[in-house]
Amino acid sequence: MTALHREAGYQALRGTRSSARSRPGPARRHASRRTRRFALNGIGVVVALVTLFPILWMVSTAFKPPSELYSLTPHPLPAHPTLGNFTAVLNGQAAGLGISFWIFARNSLYVTVVTVVLASVVSLLAAVAVARFRFRFRAAYLIMLLIVQMLPAQALVIPLFIDFRGIGLLDSLTGLILIYTAQALPISIWLLRNFVAAVPRDLEEAASIDGAGPVRVFWRILFPLVAPGLVATSIFSFITAWNEFIFALTFLLNDQSKFTLPIYVQFFFGKGTADWGGIMAASTLYTIPVMLFFLFVQRRMVGGLVAGAVKG
Amino acid sequence: MTVVEQVARRTHRARRITPSAPPARRRWARRLPLLPALIYMIVITQIPFIVTLWYSLQNWNLTSNAKAKFTGLSNYASVFTNANYRSSLLVSVEMTAVAVIVSMLLAVALALLLNQKVLGRGFARTLLITPFLIMPVASALLWKTTMLDPTYGLVNWLLSPFGVHHVAWLSSHPLGSIIAVLIWRWTPFMTLIVLAGLQGQPLDVLEAARVDGAGAFVIFRRMIFPHLRPYIELGTLLGSIYIVNTFDEVYSMTQGGPGTSTTNMPYYLYEQAFQAYNIGGAAALGVITVIIVMIIASFALRLIASVFRFEEAVG
Repeated sequence: MTALHREAGYQALRGTRSSARSRPGPARRHASRRTRRFALNGIGVVVALVTLFPILWMVSTAFKPPSELYSLTPHPLPAHPTLGNFTAVLNGQAAGLGISFWIFARNSLYVTVVTVVLASVVSLLAAVAVARFRFRFRAAYLIMLLIVQMLPAQALVIPLFIDFRGIGLLDSLTGLILIYTAQALPISIWLLRNFVAAVPRDLEEAASIDGAGPVRVFWRILFPLVAPGLVATSIFSFITAWNEFIFALTFLLNDQSKFTLPIYVQFFFGKGTADWGGIMAASTLYTIPVMLFFLFVQRRMVGGLVAGAVKG
Repeated sequence: MTVVEQVARRTHRARRITPSAPPARRRWARRLPLLPALIYMIVITQIPFIVTLWYSLQNWNLTSNAKAKFTGLSNYASVFTNANYRSSLLVSVEMTAVAVIVSMLLAVALALLLNQKVLGRGFARTLLITPFLIMPVASALLWKTTMLDPTYGLVNWLLSPFGVHHVAWLSSHPLGSIIAVLIWRWTPFMTLIVLAGLQGQPLDVLEAARVDGAGAFVIFRRMIFPHLRPYIELGTLLGSIYIVNTFDEVYSMTQGGPGTSTTNMPYYLYEQAFQAYNIGGAAALGVITVIIVMIIASFALRLIASVFRFEEAVG
């Protein structure tokens, strides 16, 4: 915004009509608007680059052969792209341990999928109760959820470690699933509550007047309408479980075949950090499922919002 | 459907059906779906927290065979007298404050920009979320290696025209480097919150002010900023709650070093609990972290409540 505009603005606010001298002519205003648009677009592009650049760099580095990895003048794109880094990661040579990436990918996927399913079922039930029924301590319950969401993991890691050591849940993916589900529950319930509340209650009432029992009403009426919301909510449980670090780091101690991907990446590449190609290839492979899931869910998420907007 | 409509509907519904004390069996049937989530969270989060409180009052080291001994508040006393504990507290405060303030300033600027008709606006909004989708360990390693490496790093190469050569960022500016990565990671999150606030402001009011001749700065100060304030505060508080707990970046980039220069409270707690096996001391540190987070969170909760009440009033 030019100083001229600002001056005009101040005068207008003070109530004095600006003189013809300080009001720009239509041609000049048009020109200044064009430069402004140009500048804005420029800034927009720069911002997009800064945000995205490290990620583009990660992917491009993953395709670089060793000769290009360590060069004094970095190039944004590999001159001779290679899949060598990826094959080394996939067959386990990159980590120097002989365990394939697939083992860890399978662990992570297993933990994440079970967490998402478990969190969805439990939080849908709770969301229906919170959104549909009034009972004492309902508000207290909602606030407790928010507080739990804000509780730092460090406060829980010690007692859970000692408990799990006692009942043999260390070095176990089941132990991690239990914790990740608990971490994903509060936000899932809060989000789902909105989706359930958006379903017109008249639909359910009509169905139950027609003789459908509560279970049938839930499955035939509520569930199909809330399903898009359920998919949208699952992105949060997905990211929680897929990216979690501190519990996996402390609970998966000895059994390397149980490692989830973040621990694998940290354990095998974080120590030496010499094999840049390997790190970036592993990170790229690791990021792809999240991106795909997000893109898939985002379409559904928009669909879910639109579905909620159609009034019954 | 907008939040406003939902809130309006909900209040409407609440007024329409105020059940007159249903029979006891129905009352329990209503709570039944809630029970799995409730029990689950009590077992996995509430009880462990109380156990942490109990541990923090004990002198207990996992490496020695000695049984845990009740020592009252001595762990807390040592937290406040021990230099390492205090330094971790200071690192946490500095890391959180700088990262939150800078990313919020950037977020407001970005959100204002993205709210305009800029080239590829929709695309940029979608992409904003990407730093958030990358796992923290991967992005930390990405920055540690290809970006900040003293010899082959991109940052040094970009800065070399300005006379910067071979700076070993992680050893000469360790805390600054971690804060930079945190800013990169958290700015998008804050931007999305501020954008949500911006979109809640009716455009015709701003247009009217513009027609009346108000300049961009005046419009921002007098109209946009007051409207955005609760969102800015909310983003700041939520950001603080999450950034206070930063662990992954510290672990992957510096392991708390050099020395203790990047050892924040979560990392120090980890060292105490899982490397020194000093359970009592670590638990005390955990309790203090929780208290700090709760103080920030209580402000956040009040703000969330006021934002919702505001929207209810509008709807």
